[in-house]
Amino acid sequence: MPLLRMRDATFAGGTTFVGPVSLELSQGEHAALHCSSAPEAAILALLATGIVKASNGCVLIDDYDPHVQSVHCKRIAGLVPHEPFLLDEGEFARYVAYRAALWGIELGRAQTHAALLRRRLTGMHESFAYPLIATLIGMPRLIVLDRPQPAYARLILGVVGRRGVLSTHTDAAAARAFCPNGPAQLPVTQA
Amino acid sequence: MTTRALLAVLQARLWAQRRIVFYSCAAAFVAGLVQPSGYAAPLFLCSLLGIACALAQSPGLHPHLDRAEQSAPLFGRELARAKALVPCLAAALAALIYGCAQLLRGAPGVPLTLLVAAAAVGAATLTALCATIRRGSTRALYVMLAASTSAVAYALAVAAHSLLAELAFCAMVAFFSLRQYGEALARYDPI
Repeated sequence: MPLLRMRDATFAGGTTFVGPVSLELSQGEHAALHCSSAPEAAILALLATGIVKASNGCVLIDDYDPHVQSVHCKRIAGLVPHEPFLLDEGEFARYVAYRAALWGIELGRAQTHAALLRRRLTGMHESFAYPLIATLIGMPRLIVLDRPQPAYARLILGVVGRRGVLSTHTDAAAARAFCPNGPAQLPVTQA
Repeated sequence: MTTRALLAVLQARLWAQRRIVFYSCAAAFVAGLVQPSGYAAPLFLCSLLGIACALAQSPGLHPHLDRAEQSAPLFGRELARAKALVPCLAAALAALIYGCAQLLRGAPGVPLTLLVAAAAVGAATLTALCATIRRGSTRALYVMLAASTSAVAYALAVAAHSLLAELAFCAMVAFFSLRQYGEALARYDPI
């Protein structure tokens, strides 16, 4: 069963229109979407995690519909935002505790997991590492990366492991860096 | 929602807004020391502080907290209740400090003043919360509604001499505002 299924998924709000997008992603698979603009990439990432609901078409996360089972979807899919976190070490420790409480994870386990991930992400600037660590401590099965830095592609894909990975990009080279085994990019049709 | 998650939201938001909370309490203390006794000062000042604290929950001011809450496996109504507690607690603290300052001055009827003020503060703060996820004229309308809630509460308590009517009015406004905020947050698209 695919972890993420998007069928002609579109988002329309005000003057913003994104899609339609169709794709299927299973456990361990990587897909990269090459988008025409940064807002489009951000909206697609939000759609794929169920934070934003599709206006038309269908998005299913492990067969759960974000319109009616958003809590289940958010347990399965984790979003790594594009914006770096400008937090110092103390603030990040507090943030880990905060996320652990929201996701109902044991605090000690979350802290150990965060420390382990930080060691594995040595060489990655902490502003970019923190959002990824914060997402991974929630143990999602699907990781959605909103415009990740291509320079850290190897490190990011290394810590993500056998999870399904969907990344959105505004640059073709970056999309190729995150999708080494499959198609470099999936077509995104702009209406 | 677990108590742990509720407390985590409360703690994280109060910590992020500690300066606003501190200045609100300081302003309430100074006003409590210099103002003559009566309902006008605590009711309007603390309601104003509550509205300011509520507006400080607007998305974008603490992006890492917003992102965590949006992607956390919580229902919109649960998150609304947790977020509503933050400005209510901050404003109630300001009202309490105002009461302490009045007690230091030896003003009469402090507990009753606190009761009248706390009811109006809760209603105004919860109404102002609805403004945080809106923009433009709708946002301004909700802020005006919050301010007029305080005015009606004052009119009922002072002009109509009916404490029960004031408490009933504030309870009703607070209930419907919290419901409205929960519904709006459940449908909220962070775009």
